Amino acid sequence: MKVTVEGHEDWGNQSYDELFRRILLDLGITRMVDEVHMIIEPENSFFLISLRVRTATGAKSVSEVAKVEQKPEGAMLTITNELYAPRLLAMLWRDYGRQRVDQLSRFELMVRGVKAEELGEKMLDPGEELKQKVLDAVWRLLPEGLKVRHNIYSEGVLTIAATEHTMKQDWKDLAEKIHAELELGREAV
Amino acid sequence: MYEVMMFDGGVYRIKEFYELVEDVGGFIIQKSQAQQTITVTLAIPEEEKVVIEKKSEELGGRLINVPLAGTEIAVVAPTLGRHHMPHPVCDIAEHLRRYGAITVVMGLARGKGRKTAQITADEKRIIEEYDAAVFVLGNFKDCIVEEKVRLFEEIEIPVAVVCGPELEELPSCEALVCGIGRKAERMRRAEEIEKLEETAQAVERIVRNRRKELDEDPLFVHPAEIKQAIEDLEPVQDNLRPAPIVLHLNGLRVKIPYAEWRDTLYEVEIYGRKLGEIANIRDASLTGSTLIEILTKCEVEDRDRKMSS
Repeated sequence: MKVTVEGHEDWGNQSYDELFRRILLDLGITRMVDEVHMIIEPENSFFLISLRVRTATGAKSVSEVAKVEQKPEGAMLTITNELYAPRLLAMLWRDYGRQRVDQLSRFELMVRGVKAEELGEKMLDPGEELKQKVLDAVWRLLPEGLKVRHNIYSEGVLTIAATEHTMKQDWKDLAEKIHAELELGREAV
Repeated sequence: MYEVMMFDGGVYRIKEFYELVEDVGGFIIQKSQAQQTITVTLAIPEEEKVVIEKKSEELGGRLINVPLAGTEIAVVAPTLGRHHMPHPVCDIAEHLRRYGAITVVMGLARGKGRKTAQITADEKRIIEEYDAAVFVLGNFKDCIVEEKVRLFEEIEIPVAVVCGPELEELPSCEALVCGIGRKAERMRRAEEIEKLEETAQAVERIVRNRRKELDEDPLFVHPAEIKQAIEDLEPVQDNLRPAPIVLHLNGLRVKIPYAEWRDTLYEVEIYGRKLGEIANIRDASLTGSTLIEILTKCEVEDRDRKMSS
């Protein structure tokens, strides 16, 4: 992971570099972040972070992590890989609503009014989880008092500029510029 | 002058130890027993230290110097958020406890940010009820020197500041420890533990100075003597809080409601006088607590003179 920190205070820059590495390690996503660029101007209460994330791999279909059977009232799932259970349940709740999903036991789920074939083909997207973890990492790093934020998000690149008072146009432009640079980096990779 | 020490040993013949402490004119401040082992915090006259040391050796225990015993210290972070609060703040508080202090961790309501960081009058009043305060600040010199310094500039108790960048000096504080800053993990590495030691020593220094100031015009009685007199009161005995009586450098915090027990406390007898005559008893900001601020000998004499004239 390449980390660049720009700012006038060496101690602060270095500590933010270490802090971010530590946070990523805590969340277990160190290997998922390619490049990070931070600009820290404490004298202006301005903080910018832009990061490029690798594409999440290992997407699995529901039938790969659970046995799917057709029953008269709907699709019956028997989870075979428990590692995916939280993600599977979250996806079922999101797509069919909690009222249609019955948890019969730790490994057995009944989704009422759904065809087994249709459910078995659904994909569990690890990208969503990764996005949430990256956002969590950025939230943990961003100075707490800098509440005024300008976010830019494109495929795999996230940029957040934060300040305490009014967000200046110059800072927004700077955020766009850094964001574009990291996007270019993706193409180079 | 009293010296506060900690005995670490077994329960065997411990009563002999208590009796000796009492005989030399000392006090037991706190006892904590875990099965066969016991730690006892005690205050003894300085000149009797040798006798007590000898007895501890005889009992197979050891006497540890706890320079912050008998103090209550506030460790203050700009907010309760995870950006400021958890690791260094808790590690510092824990390390001060090893030196014998009772510590309280506190987050300000609006201490975050740079120009928007502020402290309320209530928060100042709460902090001032402690013997000293440790303010744990962040990573940027400009932010600390230009803005955060306002958080503690009007605090009337000694303040130690802990921050990240190396600063030569900082106004409005009695001690400064640099090189800690924001952290996302516990302080476990050797150099970090060294910094915790440095912080504890800085706090010890400011507490020692405060003790010296108090010695110039000594208190009428030592706080431990009042503790001994009030610890048998029914509300104190029934109190389920971990430390119902906490010693301060110039008094005590008793964790019983002021409104309900002020008269009882006022009437407690200390060397033939009422406690209310030799101390100011007032409501504490910490809910359900009472503060007892012992008057100095001069203040008591002055009060007596006014009463008689």
